[in-house]
Amino acid sequence: MIQITLQKELTAASGIMLLDINIHIQQGTLTTLYGNSGVGKTSILRMIAGLLQPDEGQIIVNQKTWLDTKKGICLTPQQRKIGFVFQDYALFPNMTVKENLLYALEKGQDKEIISQLMHIIELKDLQHQKPNKLSGGQKQRVALARALVRKPEILMLDEPLSALDIKMRAKLQDYILKAHQQFGLTTLLISHDIAEVIKMSDIVLNIENGKIIQQGKPIDVFTTKQVSGKFQFSGEIVEIKKEDIIYIVTVLIGSNFVKVVAEETEVQTMKIGDKIIVASKAFNPLLQKIK
Amino acid sequence: MIDWQPLLLTFKLALTTTFLLIVISIPVSYWLAHTKSRIKPLLETLISMPLVLPPTVLGFYMLVVFGPSTTLGAWLNDYLGLRLIFSFKGLVLASIIYSLPFMVHPIQAGFANLPTTLTEASYVLGKSKITTIFNVLLPNIKPSILTGIVLAFAHTIGEFGVVLMIGGNIPGKTKVASIAIYDEVEALNYVAANWYSIILFIITFSILLLVYLINGGYLKKFWK
Amino acid sequence: MNVLKGKITAIKTNDSISIVTIQVASIFFNTILIETPDTAPYLQKGNSIKIIFKETEVIIGKGTTHLTSIQNQISGEIINIEKGMLLSKLIIDTTVGKITAIITSDATDQLQLKIGEKITSMIKTTEIMLSQ
Repeated sequence: MIQITLQKELTAASGIMLLDINIHIQQGTLTTLYGNSGVGKTSILRMIAGLLQPDEGQIIVNQKTWLDTKKGICLTPQQRKIGFVFQDYALFPNMTVKENLLYALEKGQDKEIISQLMHIIELKDLQHQKPNKLSGGQKQRVALARALVRKPEILMLDEPLSALDIKMRAKLQDYILKAHQQFGLTTLLISHDIAEVIKMSDIVLNIENGKIIQQGKPIDVFTTKQVSGKFQFSGEIVEIKKEDIIYIVTVLIGSNFVKVVAEETEVQTMKIGDKIIVASKAFNPLLQKIK
Repeated sequence: MIDWQPLLLTFKLALTTTFLLIVISIPVSYWLAHTKSRIKPLLETLISMPLVLPPTVLGFYMLVVFGPSTTLGAWLNDYLGLRLIFSFKGLVLASIIYSLPFMVHPIQAGFANLPTTLTEASYVLGKSKITTIFNVLLPNIKPSILTGIVLAFAHTIGEFGVVLMIGGNIPGKTKVASIAIYDEVEALNYVAANWYSIILFIITFSILLLVYLINGGYLKKFWK
Repeated sequence: MNVLKGKITAIKTNDSISIVTIQVASIFFNTILIETPDTAPYLQKGNSIKIIFKETEVIIGKGTTHLTSIQNQISGEIINIEKGMLLSKLIIDTTVGKITAIITSDATDQLQLKIGEKITSMIKTTEIMLSQ
């Protein structure tokens, strides 16, 4: 059980924002912090990692106190057993892939974990490369493997997949899930992609303006509360076009585009880039077997 | 032929100064690159002063402060046996102060340009500050350090004003090549002056060339 | 999207499918769902709920009485027609509020629909969604 209470005044683009959250996380779950940029998601992870000091707060991980501002306890990042995958990966350019992993070993730790990780995350072929020779997806995998060497109590990933194309993303999501399950990790992930959240997480925390406005299973948070339609997908509006007296809205769902007819009053509330749910009744779609 | 001593002394001075400058500059640069202290601008200004002040100003004040007739100079001489005026040690001290910005600036810029996530990633992996500096930060600013070394080394070799002020012209102790050349010209001994100059030119040219070749990675194919 | 607020008055369930009756003003709407009160907690008699159906799924019948298999029928009066090349948008005033329908302009012409005309709007049971 991980209990986190944090308060901090942050300077956001829109002025001063008070971050105030209270999270309980079950051991072994994958929790996603969902929300637009600038709502404090990264700050939350950095405070849990000990890279940022909250004004007030308490972090208790498996009965161990990592932070308690009232008692003046604050463990350094080194003392907290965490894995952190940074948005820019932060691989050490002077070390090869294998050296990056070896660097993460604790004194006296068995080197076996390195070959185990290189096997699971398929890094064997890359092990002697320097990071600047790697593609974004490969760097990402190395960063993930490096974060796992210490067998962290919490693995945190700061929007790790945002810079990758859709195909690569799906593959890396699988790597993360595989590692999460195989090592029985407790994982915190930042994402602003609904499809990703639904695929990856047990619990999602919807964050707005430094506060958690909604939490629960992603499917509950994002879907059923809204409509009963069984044929539901979340996606992003990529085009809105007026044709005749109606509008045709093109929505990107995963890597597929779908077109939906909409009426003027609906379109008025939407703009390109909006996240939306496409819903229909289970009675309408046709099924056709692919030959 | 010429007397080799001034040339040897020049390189001894440059090597000693550069070595000590590395030791001093790394912590100073690291501190400057990361501190939010209010005295940072003051310290940066002080370090940069040798860039604008004539070297004679530094030499003059060293004479005033460390001269044997001053309290500090006398105390250093009596209790520590340290004479900083008209001595090699004094030259080293003056050269360090005089070349400090040439070493500190590139290294400080190197530290500042490294993404902070590198440091954070290392901390999160449980590594101490010292381990992080030596295994992650310094190896990744090698070009900056090399630039600092080259600049400080070259600058020390080319020193004249400070040496003249506080070193005097003691053969084997403080008579470096630049002074020797000046002496020979004064004595209208142009041949000797020419020899000193050519040798100084060739050696420094070779050193700089080598450094730039290494820094640019041109030599990699030879040892790979 | 037509959205109407109502109350659940009856739920008939068989295996995982339910037919839910919702009263909006004096009109009863029926909808069929792959949900049961067990899988969807909001399916309770007396619960307030919104019914949703798309404009393009509204069928227009001239006059007021029709014998069809369509169970959801609301009579009303056309208060506006916006005619495009292929499609027309009708706004219909009914006892449950304004309903928008999009039908082909050919249909509008063939039925000779005019503003002020009394018509019946119909929605199939399989086209109504529920929302909390």
